Amino acid sequence: MKKTKLSFALATALLMTARLSQASELGTNTPVRSCCAAMETPGSVPAYTDKSLYQVESTWTTDTGKAMKLGSLAGKPQVILMFFSKCTSACPILMNDLKRISAALTPQERTQVGFTMVSFDTDHDTPLALAEYRQTWDLPVRNWTLLSGRQDDVLELAALLGVKYKAAADGQFAHSNAITVLNAKGEIVHQQVGLNEDISETVQTLIKLVKN
Amino acid sequence: MQEKPNLHCRAARLRSCWWIAGCLMLALAAKAGPANMVLIPNGLYHPLFLSANDLKEVPVKSFYLDAFPVTVKDFLEFLRANPRWQRSRVKRIFADESYLNNWAGDLDPGTNAPASSPVTYVSWFAAKAYAEWKGKRLPTVAEWEYAASASATRPDGESDPRFKAEILQWYSTPTPLVLPAVGADTANFFGAHNLHGLVWEWVADFNSALIAGDPGSNGVSERRFFCGAGSQGAREVDDYPAFMRYAFRSSLKADYCVHNLGFRCARDL
Repeated sequence: MKKTKLSFALATALLMTARLSQASELGTNTPVRSCCAAMETPGSVPAYTDKSLYQVESTWTTDTGKAMKLGSLAGKPQVILMFFSKCTSACPILMNDLKRISAALTPQERTQVGFTMVSFDTDHDTPLALAEYRQTWDLPVRNWTLLSGRQDDVLELAALLGVKYKAAADGQFAHSNAITVLNAKGEIVHQQVGLNEDISETVQTLIKLVKN
Repeated sequence: MQEKPNLHCRAARLRSCWWIAGCLMLALAAKAGPANMVLIPNGLYHPLFLSANDLKEVPVKSFYLDAFPVTVKDFLEFLRANPRWQRSRVKRIFADESYLNNWAGDLDPGTNAPASSPVTYVSWFAAKAYAEWKGKRLPTVAEWEYAASASATRPDGESDPRFKAEILQWYSTPTPLVLPAVGADTANFFGAHNLHGLVWEWVADFNSALIAGDPGSNGVSERRFFCGAGSQGAREVDDYPAFMRYAFRSSLKADYCVHNLGFRCARDL
């Protein structure tokens, strides 16, 4: 009995050293993350097109505290805006631009388009802060999604949208002003850059997508 | 009689010396950190462009930085373990058509990409995925610039005109078709190699380079739109290498794959 216990302990120790040496061969002190291997498993991720933003694996939190992947926005065209709720300069104008776009659609078209706003401010924009923002701006629950996420994931989404941003020391963010239209598959089909711009091209793009 | 306590004392002192030496060695061993990474101590990064509400100095917390850029050999290992990043399988949104352009095949670097040369033609997404696979991350602009501001002899090399001149000379030299091996240069003050003189490198927040005249950036004023006025808000108008890196970074998109753009990883302590 004692012998088997001893040999078991020996075997475990041997295994552990083998693992350790494997890890050091890779030049790291910590075990290699299995994140990427998990992504390889077929079936776990719906097949998105090569140009779809919905391929990203990041998980986001809505203003009601629900966790979601961007892929769950698939199925209808989305108007995407990156913003932050404490913004006092550009974002209110961009918010107004989104409302103008929504208002330019017929009620029927409007139900077939989603508006998704993602915050740069990972510290302040908690689900609660975003819920308050929704109230302040009177954003319909239906079709309007407000998301917060991890800093790394915000950076990745910004990179995918071609949005530049930078935190300033006073808690504000400098950022590009871009309203992006994704088709139902999550591919970028149009981007409107600037503040208080002519929205007609964006609206026309959405109407065409909804008709198809 | 008087000698004896003295001897005792000496022995005790000797013993404590050993203790101290032992502790020091342990501390040094801990400081050596992960393989092929160097410790960058706490410091300050001086951003090139400042808007009215920016800090003049950004504190950089001590971190580990790869001593060398990631090589072709390193990247090949990553591709073996993560087939979805191989050239024929990568999704177009994560890397443009030039991805691993100088490789002969999916798992065959070929003669244009020698094993010990820095891997290039990699997108920001690919670099990020590699870093995550290694349990690391990409350094930030502040971290990279701070680490790269050291010359071979001093941590504040940026104030040494000769150091700046050497970097500029590299910027004006065309990149060779086949990149030389990493580590052929003298290490900088922190022990890092090739931060200058071999390839440009991706950083995590490459997309934070907003020119002062960008719409929406805080503190925009009309004068910044004038030709050449971009330099008005700059910290040091004669730091040409910093301007060049800033310009290069702001021209990048995350899916770009370029011949002279590679990367290295960082890690928190």
